[in-house]
Amino acid sequence: MRALVLAALVASIGAAMTGRGWAEEAFVTNQLSNNLTVVDLATARPVATIAIDGKPAGVAVTPDGRFAYVTSPDAKALTVVDAVARRVIGRIDVGGGPLGVAVAPDGAAVYVADWYAAAVRVIDPKVQRVIADIAVGASPSGLAVTSDGRLLLSADRDADSVSVIDTATRERRATIKVGTRPFGVTIDAEGRRAYTANVGSNDVSVIDIAEAREIGRVKTGLRPYAVALAQGRGFVTDQYDGTVTVFDLLTLAPVKRINVGDYPEGIAATADGRQIIVANWESNSISVIDAVELKVTGEIKVGDGPRAFGAFLRR
Amino acid sequence: MRTTLASVGAVVTALAVMGIAWAHGPTRQKVRESIEINAPPAKVWAVIGNFQDMSWLPPVTKTEGDKGNAIEATRRLTLADGATVDEELYKFDADKMTYSYRITAVDVKVLPITNDSSTLTVTPSADGKGSSLEWAGAFYRGFPNNDPPPELSDEAAVKAVSGLYRAGLDALKKKIESGS
Repeated sequence: MRALVLAALVASIGAAMTGRGWAEEAFVTNQLSNNLTVVDLATARPVATIAIDGKPAGVAVTPDGRFAYVTSPDAKALTVVDAVARRVIGRIDVGGGPLGVAVAPDGAAVYVADWYAAAVRVIDPKVQRVIADIAVGASPSGLAVTSDGRLLLSADRDADSVSVIDTATRERRATIKVGTRPFGVTIDAEGRRAYTANVGSNDVSVIDIAEAREIGRVKTGLRPYAVALAQGRGFVTDQYDGTVTVFDLLTLAPVKRINVGDYPEGIAATADGRQIIVANWESNSISVIDAVELKVTGEIKVGDGPRAFGAFLRR
Repeated sequence: MRTTLASVGAVVTALAVMGIAWAHGPTRQKVRESIEINAPPAKVWAVIGNFQDMSWLPPVTKTEGDKGNAIEATRRLTLADGATVDEELYKFDADKMTYSYRITAVDVKVLPITNDSSTLTVTPSADGKGSSLEWAGAFYRGFPNNDPPPELSDEAAVKAVSGLYRAGLDALKKKIESGS
């Protein structure tokens, strides 16, 4: 058993280092057109459109690239997409208002935030149903799991705080006060710091996860939505400004503000950290940002009302 | 009609208890309406470009506010039936003839939406002779929870905003083209 796990681990590291078997892709939820656009980032072209009803919003692609999980708040469902075959293979009734979604690094658990219930649902993808509930603060939105899989963070928007959950016991072990109305939450690769985009106070809270406290605050544009990390910098979508605010992760000093499409929302960095992908809700497009040069290098049309809230890149 | 109003009233009471300023549904809606006006862009801008004067929108009887066209300028619109709408300016660019504002307070009985932000933009029309005026909005339905009553649904929100924008654009076209 241990040998098998080790072999799988070596294989996955090998794949990561020598190039994956697929080109990197964006799985973009189009909330108003009720579908998902798959965009090949190497060719900058949409390669598939997958119908998903119930106003799809949140999305999380598994680290092995096999599945994408999509939340539909209006259908109260989590849709399972085969990312390779590009088709829907399952639909799990989760109830409430599913919004944020995150997957454990080993793919064995999927976490869904219930916007209305101050709870996170734990889904076992093998049996395709909810197997546990975790109590968190009001209106949980963004979710993120540390790379070792031990901690789950929930941005509890209407509680102005972040819940730190032990994934083994499925219990909240800490509550961290942050700025006003945290929406997206992103954890760095080392699992040391987390960043929340605070829609109400127009800033980002920097969290020391081990110490379970906020250690810094970064001013952003209006109504920040989510944060991506690359090249030692944080990239924040400013919905009302149509910009991405860039700041230095060490000094927390502002670096630049980049114009993108209108109402930018979901944001993520490619595996090599060289590109930042942004979903523009109003413009119906994704913007591609060169994370080194800090400029927009492309814009690709997708469906209506793209949100791409979560880990939407198949890397 | 009486039943509808009563149920809306009950919902409004519930919302007041929950604090409606921030709570919203899971799906933001968008509306984009535009109109061609037979007048140069500068003339159209002269009518709409003052955030402190929304007399061109049919139900508005009074505009009162602070800070002119500065960012974070505020205004209170009073409607014909006495209801009010509070708004705040967050983008203003006279060169590009565009500005954006958000609604900071409105009763869902007046407009069945929450967390609205709107943008007005004047551009030269395709033939270069007149203007194109666009009004775009992003907002959530009036009911912040699951399973909204019909009058506070996504569809009701889109219909109300779309109707308001159309009425405003039609009135502006008439006002400007008639030279009044």
